[in-house]
Amino acid sequence: MEGVGAGAGFRKELVSRLLHLHFKDDKTKVSGDALQLMAELLKIFVVEAAVRGVRQARAEDTLRVDVDQLEKVLPQLVGERGSRRQWRCPAGWP
Amino acid sequence: MEEEAETEEQQRFSYQQRLKAAIHYTVGCLCEEVALDKEMQFSKQTIAAISELTFRQCENFAKDLEMFARHAKRTTINTEDVKLLARRSNSLLKYITDKSEEIAQINLERKAQKKKKSEDGGKNSREPAEAGVVESEN
Repeated sequence: MEGVGAGAGFRKELVSRLLHLHFKDDKTKVSGDALQLMAELLKIFVVEAAVRGVRQARAEDTLRVDVDQLEKVLPQLVGERGSRRQWRCPAGWP
Repeated sequence: MEEEAETEEQQRFSYQQRLKAAIHYTVGCLCEEVALDKEMQFSKQTIAAISELTFRQCENFAKDLEMFARHAKRTTINTEDVKLLARRSNSLLKYITDKSEEIAQINLERKAQKKKKSEDGGKNSREPAEAGVVESEN
């Protein structure tokens, strides 16, 4: 697909369909650049959720990331998207 | 009449399901990369949960983006609107801004390449049709 980032990512067409699903106005459109940028944003969103899940799992010393761990990191993720610095591990893990 | 409405609703539902499935696939791939990098596995439920979350976030994003564009008296959402979405976190905003410039740069180079090709007598372009309007304004 695009060479903007290595590895997996959201395809522009998928992003376009996802956005158009929720537009109130039929006339609303999205520029190609904006679609690419949204694909990046969604990718960060997912990766951030995953990485925070891993940190939580490590803090709890569990073998894998389960929904229990994910639930604990969700509020920060959805409220303050991507604000890495503000996460503090209760167990003191760096 | 009632039957028609039901079919429409069913259609929308199954359309949403297909989109969710596509999200699920991408989320799975991304989590796989993280899993390899961090050497920690994700349960299937976790991947499903992240997928669901992503789907729901898209609704918020879409509505916000539409409002931002409308506020600027535009019908086409552009990269400035997307950057507004990222405003709450400095690090995210910086990342998105950098990406935005990277994308603009790559697209500029692609257009230059295409132009060169057609000037050299090359045939059709390799690029697939882009969804939505392509704008170069920033």
